[in-house]
Amino acid sequence: MQKSREANLASKITFQTQYLPTAVEVQETQPAQVSWWKHIRVEKIGLFIISLFLFTLAITLMKDGARSLSPLLQNTFSINNVANCLGFGWFFAYFIMSGSPVAAASLTFFDAGVIDKMGAFAMITGSRFGASFIVLFIGFLYVLKGRDRSTSLSMGLLSLLVTFSTYLPGFILGAIFLQSGWLDSMQLRSGALLSSIIDFAIAPLAGFIGTLLPNWLVFCAGLGITLLSFSLFDKCLPQMALQESHLGRMSRLVFRPSVMFLLGALVTMVSMSVSLSLSLLVPFSARGFVRRENVIPYIMGANITTFIDTLLAAVLLRNASAFTIIFAGILSIAIISILILITFHRKYRTLILGSVDWITANNRNLAIFMVVIFALPLILILV
Amino acid sequence: MKILTVIQDTTNTKNILQFTAQFNSRADESTTILANIGDGADDNHQSVHAILAEACIKVPQPVIQTLIRAGNPVKNILYEAEAGNYDLVIVRDRTQHRLERFVRARAVRIADRVPCSVLVIKGKTGPIQRILMCDSGSAESPLLGCFTAQVIELLPGDQDVTVLHVMSQISAGPGVEGEQLRANADELIDIHTPEGDLLERDLHSLEKSGLSTVPKIRHGLVVDEILAEGQSGDYDLIIIGAHRQKWQQFLLEDLSRQIIEQADRPVLIVR
Repeated sequence: MQKSREANLASKITFQTQYLPTAVEVQETQPAQVSWWKHIRVEKIGLFIISLFLFTLAITLMKDGARSLSPLLQNTFSINNVANCLGFGWFFAYFIMSGSPVAAASLTFFDAGVIDKMGAFAMITGSRFGASFIVLFIGFLYVLKGRDRSTSLSMGLLSLLVTFSTYLPGFILGAIFLQSGWLDSMQLRSGALLSSIIDFAIAPLAGFIGTLLPNWLVFCAGLGITLLSFSLFDKCLPQMALQESHLGRMSRLVFRPSVMFLLGALVTMVSMSVSLSLSLLVPFSARGFVRRENVIPYIMGANITTFIDTLLAAVLLRNASAFTIIFAGILSIAIISILILITFHRKYRTLILGSVDWITANNRNLAIFMVVIFALPLILILV
Repeated sequence: MKILTVIQDTTNTKNILQFTAQFNSRADESTTILANIGDGADDNHQSVHAILAEACIKVPQPVIQTLIRAGNPVKNILYEAEAGNYDLVIVRDRTQHRLERFVRARAVRIADRVPCSVLVIKGKTGPIQRILMCDSGSAESPLLGCFTAQVIELLPGDQDVTVLHVMSQISAGPGVEGEQLRANADELIDIHTPEGDLLERDLHSLEKSGLSTVPKIRHGLVVDEILAEGQSGDYDLIIIGAHRQKWQQFLLEDLSRQIIEQADRPVLIVR
């Protein structure tokens, strides 16, 4: 089975932390000055182009196959209302251990008329809930291996709780935006060049695959190719080696929340994954530590720009309303996060960190939390 | 050490003078007491003279200069601190009204801009016996240790100094080894972690001055833990480093401001 993007991160994190050098080693292995152009890796540029091509192909395939899944979603799974869509997106992200393909799939369902605008928005929100669980799941595996509960789970729990606490009010605000139609004018259509590329290079290939496979399998193939494209995209990103890190002091300083917020947004805009941008924090410190004060605004910023790939999917679908849905998501999460940061950030931080401490305090609390976050999407699907 | 003590109003001057007197008892240079009064307040003017006369009696210093300034207290204090080339400015944090909480406290504004160390007197004041020195491990830390030793040398009697470092870090990823995130001060010193080395250096620096020292590590949010330690240890003085200047001040959180604002006891900001 295709290894998902976030699951791949588990091995990355393991690799990075098994070979942690001491602070002295880090200082002693400073790289020599090399011209900037020598850092350009042609094979990475090639991989990036391939991953972009595959992503475009995947969206086209999912778009073609989505309509055939209408009976499955509406009759078999009874995905008929907003709560169902939220739960489905959430659970679907658990199942494939990634949020972005689910968000892209929700747009293709919307484009095919399987779900409405609010349903798509709910499913995308659910996909983010599911995706934020991945870091926690990896931590949980470490706990099962006998590692300390608090150390292994803190980052995953923080990511999950920050996502829940910003996306839930963000979902309500976004729903108001979408229902009121205030953002309907915010539409970005794909340009003529992009349309030409899709029509010339992607559509014939997608059409050919469509003749070979039944429609539902075309959608599944598209989903699989999305995962593959993300996996390739991760390989395009520069690998942060500890020896190369000049940012070791980051873990020693307490940055302004606004600085960490922008950094989280920027890093995730490039990496297109919250899990990946969080894993980048590991090499930022020689010991893999990050300050409590810094991490929450960083996650908040990351949670906004993680929509960038879904935004690209909306453009590739050439569906103007799909773009509006994603824009409503970005805007509402940004508003909620900024409001928290400028009004009650300290209380919020204490509350979130207190919740993390409570969950990791003992096995009973952890079990209760795990049962709740597994049961919630299922309950929402059944509502 | 040149000390500038500031009296900003005529209330509660007894506390500030008593507290200041502790530092002046062994000071080898002259001490200046600056009284700032509002514009055109004749009644205040008279009472300020009385206070300054009282100060000259209470502060056990052979040479005391007194100054009276009118107008903006922050501007006057900053001007005098710069012109007089002082090593330490002592100010009292004025109790703020509710509306004033939305703007930065006067003591914070002074502490931010004054070119030397600042002692903000607030909350519970009394003889300084127990001192909490908080070291963040930043580049200015050696200055913190040295200045603390100098200040404590001015105080009469033997003080106990607790050197605190707050580790607010958590693991950045699930697979990170986190033993250090739970270790106490002695364990960190034994295994020579950066925090352990930092504490050891501070202890060494203070013990050279013959002070009784205790290393301490707390885990949690920096400001919360410093305030909690200040209360639980019932310290008489909290010593912290100043917020960084230049470009770093725009990137880094101003923890010293938060501590000045929230502490319920005197805070010395070392610069």
